[in-house]
Amino acid sequence: MELAKIEALIEAYFEGNTSLAEESMLREYFKSEEIASHLQAYKSMFIGFAAAKDEVSVREVEIPSKSLKIGKAWWYSMAASLLVAITVGGFLLTQPSMSQEEKAALAAFQKSKEAMVLLSSNFNKGTEKLVYMNQIIETKNKILK
Amino acid sequence: MVRRNDRTAFILLSLTKKTNLLNQQEFIAIVIPFKDKLYRLAKRILVSSDEAEDAVQEVYLKLWKGKEKLENYRNPEAFAMTMTKNYCLDRLKSKQASNLKIVHNNYQNTDNLERQLEANDEVELVFKIMETLPEQQKIILQLRDVEQFDFSEIAEMLESNETAVRVSLSRARKAVRKELIKQYNYGVS
Repeated sequence: MELAKIEALIEAYFEGNTSLAEESMLREYFKSEEIASHLQAYKSMFIGFAAAKDEVSVREVEIPSKSLKIGKAWWYSMAASLLVAITVGGFLLTQPSMSQEEKAALAAFQKSKEAMVLLSSNFNKGTEKLVYMNQIIETKNKILK
Repeated sequence: MVRRNDRTAFILLSLTKKTNLLNQQEFIAIVIPFKDKLYRLAKRILVSSDEAEDAVQEVYLKLWKGKEKLENYRNPEAFAMTMTKNYCLDRLKSKQASNLKIVHNNYQNTDNLERQLEANDEVELVFKIMETLPEQQKIILQLRDVEQFDFSEIAEMLESNETAVRVSLSRARKAVRKELIKQYNYGVS
């Protein structure tokens, strides 16, 4: 490449007026061709910038498999559903079991029911005998017409 | 009742896990290609490669947490560069705010001077000169002359405008030139 063009490019370069393509031309010039002695001082600049791009990060980045936001929401929903399950389940399970007082009342109720049944069966036994009474009434009606 | 609840929870869990996994892969596919660029920018600002690696990790964590925002960005790379720049400048500020400032700066200055004088490696010399530039110029030089970004991209990354970027870049290049010529003349004479 002609020296005059390179000089013009360098001039523009220091004014911040070169395009990316022109800058890559400059890099090429300083990399490969024979460099004019008065431009020698710039060489390390272009070589240096090119070399700086070779540096790479060597450490692996760690990205958590779950984002914190979703993780939190997930735990909240988990806790909420667990709470619902426990309350509903607990409510249903504890329902049939009764306190001591209720048990005693139920026993008393059973006892009195038995007593009532006994009473009524005895009562029915009494009424059964009334059938004979009907017979008597019937016969009496036949005789005393 | 309880069992049904558990099953819904299980289905929910497998669903969220699946979508998360997918998102993570997508996320990595988007952000990993410019990891080295983030690292180089961080290193330009923080100098220490260890701190630069830490910064990259931190920036990626931040990006991952705000990945919905990243998806909406038309240029994730520029967004990540801006984040890296801001994070590193913050780190630098908090470091300078600490009591170590004076000692650290003194140490660095003498170190630079000595190393400049005995630097026979020209490339090393350019890096050392870059270290002495103001942060903004350092960053612009890195973005343009090392990473070769467009002026429009640089303006976006720095939340600035193209004219300001060009002016800053011109100053930075001239500052490097000045130092280089000084060193070169030392070497020749």
